Amino acid sequence: MKRWWAVLLVLALSAWAQGTLKVGVVVSATGPAASLGIPERNTFPLIQEMVDRQGGVAGRKVEFVILDDASDTTQAVRNTRRLVEEGAVAIVGTATTPASLGMIPVVAEAKVPMISLAAGKEIIHPVDAQRFWVFKTPQTEELMARAIVADMAARGVKTVGYIGFNDAYGEGWARFFEAELKAKGLQLVASERYNRTDTSVTGQALRIITRRPDAVLIGASGTPAVLPQRTLKERGYRGLIYQTHGVANPDFLRVGGRDVEGTLLPAGPILVAEQLPSTFPSKRVALDYIQRYEAKYGIGSYSTFGAHAWDAWLILKPALERALKRADPARDLAAFRAALRDELEATRGVVATQGVFTFTKEDHLGLRFEDAAVMVRVENGRWKLERVFR
Amino acid sequence: MRRYLWFSLLLLPFLLSPFPFYLTLLNFFAIAALVALSLYVLTGLGGMTSFAQAAFMGVSAYATALLTARASLSPWAGLALGLGLTVAFALVLGLLTVRLKGHFLPLSTIAWQVALYILAGNLVGLTGGHTGLTDLPPLSLFGLPLDTPFRYAFLGLFLLALGVLALKNLRESRLGRALLALRGDALTAASFGVDPAALRLKAFLLAGGIAGLAGFLYAHFLRFVNPTPFSLEASIKYLVMAVAGGVGTIPGVLLGAALFTGLEDWLKDLLPLLLGRQGNYETIAYGLVLAGILLFAPQGLWPLLAGRRPSGRKALPQGEPLPPRPPSGRRGEVVLEARGLRKAFGGLIAVNGVSLALRRGEILALIGPNGAGKSTTFNLLTGALPPDGGEVFLFGKEITGLPPHRIHPLGLGRTFQHPHVFPEMTVLENAALATYARTRAGFVRVLLGLHRKEEERALATAYEALRRVGLEGLALERADRLTAGQQRLLELARLLASGAEVLLLDEPGAGLRAGEKRELAKLLLALAREGYSVLIVDHDMDLVMGLADRVVVMNYGEKIAEGTPEEVQKNPLVRAAYLGEEAA
Amino acid sequence: MDATILGLLLLDGVQNGVVYGLLALAMVLVFAVTRVILVPIGELMMFAPLSFVWLQGGKLPGTLWLALALGALWALLERGRGRGLPLVGGAGLLLLFLLARGSPALAYLAALLLVVYLGVATYRVFFQPMRAASPEGEHRGATVLALLIMAVGLHVAYQGLGLVFFGPEQYRPDPLLQGEATVGLTWQGVLVLAFALLSAAALYLFFRRSLFGKALLAAAENRLGARLCGIRPEEAGMVAFAIAGLMAALSGLLLAPLINAAYFMGFMLGLKAFVAAILGGLVSYPVAFLGAVLVGLFESFTSFYASAYKEALVFLLLVPALFYQSLRAKGVEE
Repeated sequence: MKRWWAVLLVLALSAWAQGTLKVGVVVSATGPAASLGIPERNTFPLIQEMVDRQGGVAGRKVEFVILDDASDTTQAVRNTRRLVEEGAVAIVGTATTPASLGMIPVVAEAKVPMISLAAGKEIIHPVDAQRFWVFKTPQTEELMARAIVADMAARGVKTVGYIGFNDAYGEGWARFFEAELKAKGLQLVASERYNRTDTSVTGQALRIITRRPDAVLIGASGTPAVLPQRTLKERGYRGLIYQTHGVANPDFLRVGGRDVEGTLLPAGPILVAEQLPSTFPSKRVALDYIQRYEAKYGIGSYSTFGAHAWDAWLILKPALERALKRADPARDLAAFRAALRDELEATRGVVATQGVFTFTKEDHLGLRFEDAAVMVRVENGRWKLERVFR
Repeated sequence: MRRYLWFSLLLLPFLLSPFPFYLTLLNFFAIAALVALSLYVLTGLGGMTSFAQAAFMGVSAYATALLTARASLSPWAGLALGLGLTVAFALVLGLLTVRLKGHFLPLSTIAWQVALYILAGNLVGLTGGHTGLTDLPPLSLFGLPLDTPFRYAFLGLFLLALGVLALKNLRESRLGRALLALRGDALTAASFGVDPAALRLKAFLLAGGIAGLAGFLYAHFLRFVNPTPFSLEASIKYLVMAVAGGVGTIPGVLLGAALFTGLEDWLKDLLPLLLGRQGNYETIAYGLVLAGILLFAPQGLWPLLAGRRPSGRKALPQGEPLPPRPPSGRRGEVVLEARGLRKAFGGLIAVNGVSLALRRGEILALIGPNGAGKSTTFNLLTGALPPDGGEVFLFGKEITGLPPHRIHPLGLGRTFQHPHVFPEMTVLENAALATYARTRAGFVRVLLGLHRKEEERALATAYEALRRVGLEGLALERADRLTAGQQRLLELARLLASGAEVLLLDEPGAGLRAGEKRELAKLLLALAREGYSVLIVDHDMDLVMGLADRVVVMNYGEKIAEGTPEEVQKNPLVRAAYLGEEAA
Repeated sequence: MDATILGLLLLDGVQNGVVYGLLALAMVLVFAVTRVILVPIGELMMFAPLSFVWLQGGKLPGTLWLALALGALWALLERGRGRGLPLVGGAGLLLLFLLARGSPALAYLAALLLVVYLGVATYRVFFQPMRAASPEGEHRGATVLALLIMAVGLHVAYQGLGLVFFGPEQYRPDPLLQGEATVGLTWQGVLVLAFALLSAAALYLFFRRSLFGKALLAAAENRLGARLCGIRPEEAGMVAFAIAGLMAALSGLLLAPLINAAYFMGFMLGLKAFVAAILGGLVSYPVAFLGAVLVGLFESFTSFYASAYKEALVFLLLVPALFYQSLRAKGVEE
């Protein structure tokens, strides 16, 4: 019993010694989503360094508490509760859609603003009583699917095949891609699934080839997205092959090699930042992030996923500054969290690495298609800007 | 009442209320502990390994999610449907799988687990696919919404405490003993009237139901369901918890659940401090901690902490024994008869046309040199093996080909060549196993604790039987502390407690010292005088000749002689058979 | 479906099945000798090509330090002359790795020996003490379960280490042989097939014909008997793990160019191999191998017809097979 009082005392003391803003971060540093989560986790030390150099936010120190959820819903929820109860002013994370959805009831109940780093549209739409507290930075599948279908239509594609992960990622893409195809009058002739751990997708590839689609979209992330593409090529498919922005990391090019030459994919502007026209709003911010990331982790090490975390901070920081004028987290944490949420929603025209964020009461994604998506082609083992939609 | 101390678990939310996060952990602990309890039933008691407990959770979680989030019905309707579906599901799977032997059962559970996971992920219209179902309503109890970890913990812990009590009841009941016996040795259990497949199926259902309850709690705590918490990895995690804590005891599985629920978070705190940086080290440490536990405590942590005490009750029974069943009926009447028994193993004919009759109140010995077919005959008589030909009658009723658990209740009991006692149980419980066929309490009565009266009487009966063979002083000891001779006596006590009047003893004298043999002989003679009928299989001539009223001699699968000990000893065929053996 | 597709699916199924078959053989071997269900075999399999890729890049892989650390524990557990093997082996391994940086041939050998050494050390450090502690005969089932859970723990730990050592993404070493032998089958695939058949035959001969092989199996059934034949059960276990490590490493190295190696790729391979091994009743090498090919074929066809439900169908189809096996299994009740 005595020790408990000691712990209580420490807690009380730390509350008194406040002044530090605690930001809770949930990332998928292990498990199936690790390829997305690790660059996100790696980004927070960069943010910390920057914030420390700037002397904190409005004179207050910022502490990022980073917890791994192993790409698992239960752990993500546990981490969120823990962060909430340890007094986090906001939660950032996590990389997968189901885990982010699981976190929503927790933050809504505790009335803590959250910025998700996952793609799923259902995380922020519709903005109901629970999603009132939730924002997100990555482009939705819907938005990226629009870019792909627009590109397909421009190239005269009529029939399309799809093969994606048999998980939330592949499912989300299948859903929105199909809807977008229907809207634009293209026909989906095959929809197949495979697992990240599969060693062969010959069956699926053959099925797609028998339907003779003009183009195939592979709804997968990271290096496991190479296998279907290679199999399709080996089995003689000669049509267009599209990937999703989930492959936008250097490892995809390394493992894919010649097999992924000519691949088309939608991406956030950061992937081809240096090739963007100088009028593109995100160019300068994106280059700045890349330079910082590569300085710490090596040339060519950056991926677009880490940039989502960076963007989350770019949004959070001004909102924190404004909220600090309205409430004091040390005195009334609940009021501060509510103020922070309001200020997040009041975000207007924040230029980030993946687009320009403007939130409204109805729109917690805040990205405009034209600023947030470009089409990229793989050429000579490098990302080449193919098309902008501005 | 010490058992109700478990409800003090309900104090935990108050104690932990200054540490909000621990309240969350407490909820996850209650959920994990329920699943671990289901594994206690399945693995700890029933000896079955399941890799599908998370799938059972999932069935119930999805059922309540669909009913509440989609159809806006009350969560309690969700609970009813969830439990109903889980048990129905377990019934189907159980019917298909509990008869599987060895590694086939765990493997088939892997199959179900993987299949259900994929279905949950791909039936998008029904389950919301991999993305899951959102917006489950919070539970509310008597108008009070259970929407905070503090409030929810009471429900979880209350159900956990109920579960613990129910399973303690189960452990201290005829069913618990029967399950433990099944795990150790199904034939012994069946010889006392336990139907292995039926009992295993019921344990499987119970375990499925408990896991379903955990799934319901999980769904309304997170208020969101998606497939990943119900994956094979999750199932493995629960099994790991239970085994690491000690799957054979209730405190063990609870300890495992608590330890591993906390471990994940402690590692998150501890590792960055130790290693000085953030990293992906939690899973490594998790795996290594598990390996360490298994290396230093292969039976689990709790048995290491608590010592290897039997987990059964610690007091002698006070009640009235079950109504005694002294042998009645005319002495000399035929009680067990075999006609022309035949059994072949491949090309080898082990028993060929053997007929014999055991009369009430006599001691009949079946003897013969090694490999004569005595043990096979014995197994044919008791139903352990089905005969290829011939018939067996017990009290004039044909029992040919019946399984042992159907034969025993008719009044036949047996012992084994190597004493089959169960080290997890006390001597008293080992003896009480024999009252299985004389008692009635089913799962519902046992789980609700309504079997206590009958249980006291069963234990009293067992205690009486132990007193009869002189083991009453050791009643509360672990059964494996007994010497070989004492284990033989325990087996006899079991027969007495079972109320059987036809006693078949397989080499009762083996491993006994001379003095013990004399005691044994005295006891058997006394039993025969009371009207018990005894068939002994043995090759210990001294014991048999001094004891038996009649002797049947076998060689090469056939009966070669029958008569009083004196007649048989003079028989030249018998002499040749035994001399031949000695010469060889 | 036309003949071309049928042919391609068959070929694909056999190729996949053979991979499961190789791992299944190793699992059957390890189980027969030690009662361990070698869940981490997938991780061992992936460590080989990943270490190889690291060496080719001129870097020392983390697996080397893991192997040396386990080797040190192994040496601590041994007494007297028994320490020679782990110490000399570890030193040799370190030397080989230092020499192999940048030399593909040596790197191949180094990756292979690394996994063999790691396999043996794993057995000696984690499994053998458990087996020694459990009294013969008593709680056989519980012990198999405990060994299984230990294997699961090691799988978790090794997978975590794989992520730390090699990162979350896949790697693809260059194939030994370039080009296609025929449509749908690369020369590298031919190499895998040949290696699989060869090792199946070799294992069969080893256990049926050689005295040492027979004695090894005997060690599983009867420790005393094996000791009388001059085989210490510890040695038998180490030999089994060495063979399993060798097979896992070789198949990993041969396969990696076809399937891309990553830390997470091993588990599912191992699980399906386990399925195949069970089809073989965990005792029969030929049946396990055939079962594996069957699983591969079935998988190939289901991925053509119903790719979303492939895994569900593959595992559900096990159930009738299990029934058949269970009915065939001897004995009333164990």
